Amino acid sequence: MSPSYKTIKPLLLTGANPASRWFSYAGLGIGVLLLLASLQMFINIQGLMKKASIRKNGYDYISVTKIITNDNMGKDNRFTPAEIEELKSQSFVDDAAPLISNRFKVIASAGDAIPFSSDVFLEALDNNFIDTVPPNFKWTEGQIKVPIIFSSDFLEMYNVFAPSYGLPQMSQATASNVTISLYCEGKLGQEVFQANIVAFSDRVNSLLAPKEFIDWANKTLEGAEEKKATRVYLKTKDANNGELLQFLDSKQYRVNKDKTAFGRGKQILQGVVTALGLFGVLVVILALMLFSFYLQLVVARSKDNLQLLITLGYSPSWISKKVASQFIPVYVIVVIAALLITQIIQWAFHHFVMYDRPELQSMLHWSVFAVALLLIILSGFANFKLVKRIVGRLNN
Amino acid sequence: MVFFIIALMQLQLNNVLPVYFEEGRKNQSEIWGKNLTFTKGEYVKIVAPSGSGKTSLMHFLYGMRKDFSGSITYENKKINQLSAEELAVQRSKQTSIVFQDLRLFPEQTVEENLEIKRQLNPFHPADKIKQMAERLGIGNKLKSKARICSYGEQQRVSIIRSLLQPFDFLLLDEPFSHLDNENAQKAMELMLEESKLRNACIIFADLERVDYFPFTKLYHL
Repeated sequence: MSPSYKTIKPLLLTGANPASRWFSYAGLGIGVLLLLASLQMFINIQGLMKKASIRKNGYDYISVTKIITNDNMGKDNRFTPAEIEELKSQSFVDDAAPLISNRFKVIASAGDAIPFSSDVFLEALDNNFIDTVPPNFKWTEGQIKVPIIFSSDFLEMYNVFAPSYGLPQMSQATASNVTISLYCEGKLGQEVFQANIVAFSDRVNSLLAPKEFIDWANKTLEGAEEKKATRVYLKTKDANNGELLQFLDSKQYRVNKDKTAFGRGKQILQGVVTALGLFGVLVVILALMLFSFYLQLVVARSKDNLQLLITLGYSPSWISKKVASQFIPVYVIVVIAALLITQIIQWAFHHFVMYDRPELQSMLHWSVFAVALLLIILSGFANFKLVKRIVGRLNN
Repeated sequence: MVFFIIALMQLQLNNVLPVYFEEGRKNQSEIWGKNLTFTKGEYVKIVAPSGSGKTSLMHFLYGMRKDFSGSITYENKKINQLSAEELAVQRSKQTSIVFQDLRLFPEQTVEENLEIKRQLNPFHPADKIKQMAERLGIGNKLKSKARICSYGEQQRVSIIRSLLQPFDFLLLDEPFSHLDNENAQKAMELMLEESKLRNACIIFADLERVDYFPFTKLYHL
C-alpha cells in the first residue's frame, strides 16, 4: 500500500515565495503562447501562399529573363543552351524550356472583319509548359493554317485600347473565330499563312505557335536555326523557394514580378514568424529555468522535512514523484490556456483579418496541438528529473 | 531451509570501528572490532558511557552513516551498500529506531507525526495511536504541535512512532533520557509487548544498565 501524500503534503513546499512561482508560470505561458501562435502563423502563411501561385499538377511555372542594365544593353542578352542546361541542373528546378522566337518578320492582319494590322512576334514553347494545349495545336510542313495560343493578358490589353482606335472589343469566343492573316518575310523568301486562335493561356504572355512551325519558318525564310532564347520557362515545385530566388538573383535573372513579389513577401514574413517562434522557444526555456530555480528554493526550504521523511523510511523516488506531480496540473493549465488564446487569435485572424478565406481554417492546425502536448510532456519530464536530482542529494 | 530462515533474521557486525576512532579502541570495547551476531527475539543491552560512540553505532546500524570500517550486514546484505530505495524499504519493514535527538516534525501535531510513520507501512490501525498515547500519558497532546511539547512528551512520541511499523530490529538510542522512572518503565513495557508481537530483537544503548530491560545479551561499548 502506498502512503497518502495528503499527510505529508504540508511538510513540503513550505514558505516559498508565491511571486516567483507566478512569475515563472506567466513566463512559461507567454513563451508557449508565442511558440504556438508563431507555428500557426507559419502554417497560415504557407496556406495563403499556396493559393497565390498558379499551380498545375503541383508545379509552378514561371518565366525568367535576363535583367537588362545600362552595362549589358546592346549585347546579346539571350539564354544560351548552356545556361538553360545550368538552370535545368538545379535541384529546385524540375524542368526548363526556352521560348524560341521568330527570326523572320511577321505582320498580322484580321482582313475585313477587323481593320487592323500590326507587326507581331511569334514564339514556340515546349507543349508541356503550356497550360492549355488543344489537340489541334500542331503544324506540319505545307499546312496553311497555323494554330495560335494567345495570351489572355494580350486580349485584355487589346480590349482596353480597341475602342480608341475604333476597333470592336472581343470576347475570347469571338477572337477564336477570327481568321488572321500572317504575312511572314525573311531573307530567303516570304509566305502567307492563316492563323486561328485555338486557346488562351493565363500562364504564357506571348503568341505561341507550334514549335515545328517556328523552326521550319526560321530555317526556310531566314536560313537560321534559333537556339538561343530571351525567355526561359521554369517548372518548379515552389516558385517562392528561397534557394531558387537566391540563385536567380545571383545570376541576375528576373522573374515574373507578381510571383516573386509574393515570394519575397513570404520570405520576409516567414523570417519574422520564425524569429518570433525561436523567441518563444527561448522564453519557454527561460521560464523553465526560472521554475527550476524556484523549485530548488522550495526544496531547500523544506530540506529538513524531506530529509526526516527519508530517514523515517519514505522512498526518495516516491517523494520525487509526488512533489513533481504537484506541478503537472500547472503545466497542463498553462499550456492549455496558451492553446486557447492561440485558438482565439486564429479565429479572430481568420474572421476579422482574412474575412473567412477558404485557404485558412478557424481551427488551429493539428501540429499546434501536437506541439502543445509535446511541451506538456517535455516540461513534466524535465520537472520530474530535476526534483529527483534535488531529492536525491538529500539522501542519508 | 531452517538454517536459511534463521540466517535471514540476523544482524551481523564484523570488525566494525568508526573511522575516526583509533585501533586501540577495539581492545577496550566489547563491540568495536568484534564479530557479533544479533538474532530476532534477542534483547541486547549496550552500556555505553558518553563519547564511546553509542549514537554513531546506532546510526551505522540504521544505515545513516557510512564512516566506519568493517561491515554490518542484514540478511547478508551490507548496509552501506544498499541503494537509497533499498534503504527506504529496510527502514519501513525491518528496522525501526528511537533517536536520542527525537527527530520529530516540529510544526506538525503529535498525531500527524505518528500518522506519517504509521501510514508508511501500517502495522496497527489508526486508532492504535490514541491507545498508545494514552497508555504513555500523552493522550491529551495528540492535537498539540510537537514543538510545544516538553522533551519528555516528545520522547514518548518518538517511542510510539517507532512502534507503528513492522520491524525485526528495534534500535533504541538513550530512549529514556528525558523520562522519569515511572514513565520510562511504562514505555519499556510497551516496547517489549510490541517486540514480542513481531518476535523482534531490541538493541538498547544507554549510559548505564536499566533494571526493567530484561536483556539476553549485555555488552560494554
